[in-house]
Amino acid sequence: MDKKETMWDVCLRKNINRRSFLKSCVALTSIMGLNTDMVSKVVAAAEKNPLPVVIWLHGHECTGCDESFLRSGTPLTSDVVLNSIALEYSHALSAGAGEPFEAHLHDIMQQYAGKYILAVEGAAATAENGIYCMTGGKPFVTVLKEVAKNAAAIIEYGSCATSGGIQAAKPNPTGSVSIREIVGNSKPIVKVPGCPPIPEVMTGVVMHYALFGKLPPLDSEGRPKQFYGNRIHDTCYRRPFFDTGMFAENFDDAGAKAGWCLYKLGCRGPVTYNSCGNLRWWNGLSYPIQSGHGCIGCSNDHFWDEAPFYKRLPEYGPLLGDVDKIGAVAAGLTVAGVVAHGAMSAVQKSKRDAQKSDGKKVE
Amino acid sequence: MKRVVVDPITRIEGHLRVEVKVDEATGKVEDALSSGTAWRGLELIMNDRDPRDGWAFIQRICGVCTTAHALGSLRAVEDALGITIPKNANYIRNIMAAVQSVQDHVIHFYHLHALDWVSPVEALKADPTATAALQNTILSTYQVKVTEPEVLDTEAYPKEFPKATPAYYQKIQKKVKDIVESGQLGIFAAQWWDHPDFQILPPEVHLLGVAHYLEMLDKQREIVLSHVIFGGKNPHPHYVVGGMPCSISMDDMNAPVNTERLAVVDRSLNTAVNIVNDFYLPDVLAIGKMYVEKGYVDGGGMAKERVLGFGDYPDEPYTGTTNGDFHKNLLLRCNGVVEDFGKGLAAAKFYDFKAEDLSDAEVLNEGVEHSWYEYPNAEGKDLHPWEGVTKAKYTGPKEGTKTDWKTLDENGKYSWLKTPKWRGKMAEVGPLSRYIIIYTKIKKGLITEPTWVEKMIMDQIEAVSKVLNLAPEVWMTTMVGRTATRALEAQVHAHVAKYYFNKLIQNIKAGDTKVADTTKWDPKTWPKECKGVGLYEAPRGALSHWVVIKDGKIANYQAIVPTTWNACPRDNKSEHGAYEKAMMDTKVKIADKPLEILKVIRSFDPCMACATHLYNADGKKIKVVTTDPYLRTNQE
Repeated sequence: MDKKETMWDVCLRKNINRRSFLKSCVALTSIMGLNTDMVSKVVAAAEKNPLPVVIWLHGHECTGCDESFLRSGTPLTSDVVLNSIALEYSHALSAGAGEPFEAHLHDIMQQYAGKYILAVEGAAATAENGIYCMTGGKPFVTVLKEVAKNAAAIIEYGSCATSGGIQAAKPNPTGSVSIREIVGNSKPIVKVPGCPPIPEVMTGVVMHYALFGKLPPLDSEGRPKQFYGNRIHDTCYRRPFFDTGMFAENFDDAGAKAGWCLYKLGCRGPVTYNSCGNLRWWNGLSYPIQSGHGCIGCSNDHFWDEAPFYKRLPEYGPLLGDVDKIGAVAAGLTVAGVVAHGAMSAVQKSKRDAQKSDGKKVE
Repeated sequence: MKRVVVDPITRIEGHLRVEVKVDEATGKVEDALSSGTAWRGLELIMNDRDPRDGWAFIQRICGVCTTAHALGSLRAVEDALGITIPKNANYIRNIMAAVQSVQDHVIHFYHLHALDWVSPVEALKADPTATAALQNTILSTYQVKVTEPEVLDTEAYPKEFPKATPAYYQKIQKKVKDIVESGQLGIFAAQWWDHPDFQILPPEVHLLGVAHYLEMLDKQREIVLSHVIFGGKNPHPHYVVGGMPCSISMDDMNAPVNTERLAVVDRSLNTAVNIVNDFYLPDVLAIGKMYVEKGYVDGGGMAKERVLGFGDYPDEPYTGTTNGDFHKNLLLRCNGVVEDFGKGLAAAKFYDFKAEDLSDAEVLNEGVEHSWYEYPNAEGKDLHPWEGVTKAKYTGPKEGTKTDWKTLDENGKYSWLKTPKWRGKMAEVGPLSRYIIIYTKIKKGLITEPTWVEKMIMDQIEAVSKVLNLAPEVWMTTMVGRTATRALEAQVHAHVAKYYFNKLIQNIKAGDTKVADTTKWDPKTWPKECKGVGLYEAPRGALSHWVVIKDGKIANYQAIVPTTWNACPRDNKSEHGAYEKAMMDTKVKIADKPLEILKVIRSFDPCMACATHLYNADGKKIKVVTTDPYLRTNQE
């Protein structure tokens, strides 16, 4: 994607003369509540290349993704929102509200048409024409379609945006679906799943864009490869205990105290692609498995309907291999384990794909 | 008379709309309407789930108070199943709850509320040298000295401390200038920066406020480090029914909790104390004093009439909530209702809230007169949470269409929130309510031996009354008071976290490392049918979760959450809820730019996602009655 046009570039392209351009700058100056002696500065700025513009929309969500974004340690949030991007519309952080805020959204959409990044947190509620999620007096789906139309790229932040999330769990009373299902595949969509995604993964996606001027490399599902390329199981510090058949059998038993594998307590690490094992939370501090709780697979599509979370994988999914016997033949099993888990991931994925097409019927 | 709509209300959690009728001549708000505009249906989704998974599902009500609903759910399920959690789990959960409240309050004031008080445009007018001097004055004048309980003293000096040098403020001002001049205001865009309320504070306060906004944006994450240690992540840390998943072992670096991990927690708890004592509290008091001195003592509304609390911080593990044990050893005994505090202490009335009230259908219930739901076979009635029904009945707006609103119908249904009631009346909940209740109980002699937490609250109220030179019933029941008590409470919570950390260390020292009781983990050990309640004083107020378990599965799940108490639509007698009352108790200078309305609404710290999935789970498919033929297009 190219660098954004400046306001002056837009005027040139649209055959708007310098006089009108200057008039817009004067108007802009007063909108910002500045003295008229600031006009020359605003003119100079409007001729310069601006920061990448981000519009952040909220559908059916819990704001946990905003909160996660704010927890980023590297980069720090202030550096992101002041130096790397221009976050022009966000229900969480923006100063404005109501009518002027909605007017600002439309101005930004026009001024940066085809250039802005649309970040979406939350699912799209489609049942009953979208009336279960209203914003500014209109259904969120309506706003979403409008803003998506001229976006350069779309980021689905969090599992609600990537697969409908918690509200899409059975019986999905509000007909919630992923953002992709509403906006289609007409433009680049970056899928950033997780409930929420790791803070540095969230800021990492926009940082990549700010640093390199393009979206990060994506896998076949649209997820940034660098963050979702590995299974948690393969990067887990407890993996050696799995391979040697040493498992916690109950919460707080001797195995749990010694940090043994949580597979038998329901850990979804073997079927979950995320950076919890290698990047970890808070710049390497910890992740759910390290705190003693199995992974619940929160970056998997429709993971909520793969509960109960404390049923070990073979009981809720296909029976592949018998972990109870792993310890007995530990030496030869690592390879077999990898193969078995690869197969298991494939089966889980096909199950989720089937659910996804079920989801489409909701529309 | 002018009708003004503000939608969306930003810098809150979720989707909220307000409409106010303003008399332009006097600035008086004649009527106000608060509408939750989204409904996610989470309680329906809870149906038939494993109760041990409940905390994870219902935690996703809200990612801001990300631990509140998990704790509410754990307490409800453990109450139903008769589980007493180990001491260490009680201490750890209390640490997590306390730091959650500190972090939530800090992020609320600086990032959700501050831009109603301070403006980057005004900050440009400030003198950096005078700002540095102001910082020094604030630090020396607006400290609230409290007596902490005796705990481990692990911090040599405060690591987080406000900078008070002119050069620093010059750099901050330069950054703000660059942003403003760039024409890309980003997060600062589209506010009414020319509103007269931004002239209330001198420019130096604006510059200081913007500087602290930025610093706290990067610092708040460190307050909840303990969630990452004990729960593996934040937002949405992990828990387990029966205690905590984070086993303790001093023998193993692979263990979730050992000496090194506890040192990480300790560091972050000290950070929380630093941030509250030297940034948050002094800033709020300095700003609050300037507002009060200029006569801004409005926005109290319901706080003057009725406030409600359930109490919290069990000092030691308890055997249940419905059996009354929860209420026996709390550090914060704000359970009860205070009426007419606005009329002064003598006129104020106190009503106790006891365990038996929980199962009394006349004490706590909810109505749907003005909500987009109906109660078939119980029309016009208020239903107890254990008997609750959810059946959506969307009626659309007064003007406009069902998918394009102009104005909502205050005489009909207008919100996805239900209207919760205590003995048929609405009440305000939150930090302010908790402070009013504790103050009234102690002053009226209903609490004769205050806990250290309650003493700290009394000391704080006394200190602030001196600073503001106003009686508690005057300053507390205002928009400023609601914001100030939240900051005071953050100070209490910061010390509560350290108090429980100390207990945790002492208990481990005594040889107890147990964090989970798994004797009732197997569903075979559960009764065929049981029900329970979980109470919790969440950052935004009194929270209750209600669960019915049948044959090992959730048969009914309800949550009555703080923002529903506060943001609810009016009741069947047209009595207003707390948001509506507060708006009606607020003067608006310019009808088209109702900054005062936004400020008073944000003083509640709205959490709409919390508020809008009240109810139920009788498995009925939700059906919306749609009469508009144009709405039946391109769907299905």
